[in-house]
Amino acid sequence: MFEIGGKKLKSRLFVGTGKLPDYSLIEKMYYEAGIEVFAVAVRRIGPNTKHTKNVLEYIPKGATIMVNTSGAQDHKEAVKIAMIGRELTDSDWVKVEIEKDTKYLFPDSFETLKACEILVKEGFKVFPYIYPDLNLAKELEQIGVEAVMPLGSPIGTNKGIGCEVLLKPIINEIKIPVIIDAGIGRPSHAAQAMEMGADAVLINTAIATSADPLKMAIAFAKAVEAGRLAFEVGLLKEYEYAQASSPLEDFISG
Amino acid sequence: MLIRVNDKEMEFCGNILDLVLNLNLNPKTCAVLVNGEIVKKDDWENFVLKDGDYVEIVSFVGGG
Repeated sequence: MFEIGGKKLKSRLFVGTGKLPDYSLIEKMYYEAGIEVFAVAVRRIGPNTKHTKNVLEYIPKGATIMVNTSGAQDHKEAVKIAMIGRELTDSDWVKVEIEKDTKYLFPDSFETLKACEILVKEGFKVFPYIYPDLNLAKELEQIGVEAVMPLGSPIGTNKGIGCEVLLKPIINEIKIPVIIDAGIGRPSHAAQAMEMGADAVLINTAIATSADPLKMAIAFAKAVEAGRLAFEVGLLKEYEYAQASSPLEDFISG
Repeated sequence: MLIRVNDKEMEFCGNILDLVLNLNLNPKTCAVLVNGEIVKKDDWENFVLKDGDYVEIVSFVGGG
């Protein structure tokens, strides 16, 4: 069990629901992979839109909905999306994701900070998606966000933890939870994030676009658990030369 | 009367609730913005759309 955003959760694996081939997989992930937090996005729906199905109808009652402001170009749009989210769900969890550039989808730190200031004051549980920037993370912690979500590598790239030297200081220095978000492509990357001491990870593409999203979600859930257990025990030091595992003394004489 | 819904013009007379039902959308899972402002669900029935109003109907879709 760990506590985040005013909730007690068992699973440290948060899952994004974008690109899923079938929304009915969400319920299966909830029951079979133990996923408790699902990220969703707000888009136009209805006539003349690509989207006809509403993902909310597929999220099990007990699950927590994290409203993602993705698509927002500035803090005003992000705040508006958060308000819509609260209007439609009981959830006050909002992932603040603001990107102006669509090539790398890097978060806009300045707009993110502004949106977080407003949303914390409005009583939201705020989860900003950020660059692995310790100074920004500290600033956000001061403001009162629930957790920070630094990227492992650019969204959807499956490249894994591309900047451990930048992420580690955030994990070490700030007291609120750190959720590694974006770029994690394999269960082993997720395990690595957890071994580093991340409190949780958020995975979307690597699960949703795999040949079997449910099986992959289970694989990620196990990797996250394994990495967390290892972190709690403490990782061992690396050595330059071999360190015998069996005793070298009292060997049989030849 | 002409309004714009999600970037497309349409002929419509009535309130927001009528519009949502007319488009076969579930009122419980949609939010409506008129001219960029969210209209609370409790006000849908009394909110009669005017000529030239820009309506956006949004809901949740898969996202990361």
